[in-house]
Amino acid sequence: MRLAFVLAEIGSGLRRNLSMVVSVILVTFVSLTFVGAAGMLQLQINQMKGYWYDKVQVAVFLCSDGSTAPGCASGPATPEQQANLRKLLQSPAVAQYVNDFQFESKDEAYKHFKEQFSNSPIVDSVTPDQLPASFRINLKDPEKYEVISENFSSQAGVESVIDQRQLLERLFSAMNAASLVAVSVAGVMIVCAILLIATTIRLSAFSRRRETGIMRLVGASKMVIQLPFILEGVIAAVIGAALASGTLWAVAHFFLGGVLSKQYPDTAFISPAQTLLLAPALIGLGVLLAGTSSLLTLRRYLRV
Amino acid sequence: MIRFENVTKVYDQNARPALDSINLEIDRGEFAFLVGASGSGKSTFLRLVLKEDRASSGAVYVAGQNVAKISSWRVPRLRRGIGVVFQDFRLLPQKTVFANVAFAMQVIGRSRSVIRETVPEVLKTVGLEGKENRLPHELSGGEQQRVAIARAVVNRPGILLADEPTGNLDPTTSMGIMGVLDKINQNGTTVVMATHDDDIVNEMRKRVVELRNGVVIRDEARALYTSMIPVVGQSRRLRDASGREPSDFGAANGEAQHAGEGKL
Repeated sequence: MRLAFVLAEIGSGLRRNLSMVVSVILVTFVSLTFVGAAGMLQLQINQMKGYWYDKVQVAVFLCSDGSTAPGCASGPATPEQQANLRKLLQSPAVAQYVNDFQFESKDEAYKHFKEQFSNSPIVDSVTPDQLPASFRINLKDPEKYEVISENFSSQAGVESVIDQRQLLERLFSAMNAASLVAVSVAGVMIVCAILLIATTIRLSAFSRRRETGIMRLVGASKMVIQLPFILEGVIAAVIGAALASGTLWAVAHFFLGGVLSKQYPDTAFISPAQTLLLAPALIGLGVLLAGTSSLLTLRRYLRV
Repeated sequence: MIRFENVTKVYDQNARPALDSINLEIDRGEFAFLVGASGSGKSTFLRLVLKEDRASSGAVYVAGQNVAKISSWRVPRLRRGIGVVFQDFRLLPQKTVFANVAFAMQVIGRSRSVIRETVPEVLKTVGLEGKENRLPHELSGGEQQRVAIARAVVNRPGILLADEPTGNLDPTTSMGIMGVLDKINQNGTTVVMATHDDDIVNEMRKRVVELRNGVVIRDEARALYTSMIPVVGQSRRLRDASGREPSDFGAANGEAQHAGEGKL
């Protein structure tokens, strides 16, 4: 009975205040979309880092079947060449710069590739043979990339030496800047949303002051009086958060999946399913925003 | 049922207190009129009983409990034991008579079956049988006040506070309302009614507590609206207290009218 009563009160409140409720929905929608966009950028950065990025700085790729580099004229790297490289890495001249290193075989390379490009059609057309084996080297000083490059580029069986950080760092810093901008915009919009929710609750409390006055007089509990107002704001915010989640999903599905992944097939993009991981966080944030701002407003404008 | 011990209420430090060291006890099942000019402290008295305000000093006991000691989350329970009726009815305009009365039960979580059983009973008590589905604007003022009374007593409170319940009604309708309040009082509910209506007070012959400037100046059983003290003395005292003679004239006029009616 009490639940049915509270639900009926919420329904009438939402109807009576429709335009304000719609504006709360839109403002939370926009602000949480920006929050979600920042989250998506971070997810994308993680995706692009792949398995090795945070562990090593330099990759020495060995010649494989399809290699066209001049050093690979004699075909794929032989086990002896591989052993020589390992010996060179352990020699005092190089070892003093190296923290540690790992060897990634073709099969391991294929496994990591499959993980990183799980959302991309490219994964089906690649076989372990096409992927080069590599030494992944963690330097004591990341700036000493040149030492490795000089020592290994000219070795037999080496296709290329790549400083991964240099390659991706600039892109990542741009993406980090973009997510910072998104978070700032989101911050402003969230302030906006909080104020708007407060105003809406105030208006709602004012338009129902007769009912709440009578509820007070006949001894309704604080919860029964306030809950409909709080839930009103929370429901609007949840709808906004759901819209924001849907928008992020659509961006991942249609823009990343449909357009960008076709233009840049060699880049790993996040999947639409991954963006849905953000949805609970966004909805939680929406509930938190609406709940706290309506509680604070009610404390001032609805005496119990 | 209601006991005031040395209660003082000050709204504004610079003005005189709204209530000044009031000592008063109203027993269970009693019917008491609270009379006095506007600003004499009648409404403050009622607000203190409801814990809408805190007394500046002194203690207010309702049903044996010191209201100052009731924590804020238990105030609703205090208010469930007190019904309130106002001059302006305060009905919800978009709800029917039945829904208005049922509202008071819904918000404290009574079950639907109890509501369906109790509301018609209470409407019968206040004389509104067959009008369950009317909207407030389809009723006369007297009928609207009956709905308000039904709402105030539907949860069977031990106390009914009425703040000028007949202030907006004509004399005949007012007497009808008094009949309803009397019936509720007969059923054991303590009734405290603040009023300006001398006809009613004179007709009912109940206890009268007269307030002036926050002080109880008269507390008589089975009394009249104006004191039995000779008129000459009283008018001088009125002038001394407030410099407002018209209230005295008003009272005197009212009594004359009432006497006329009695002859008719």
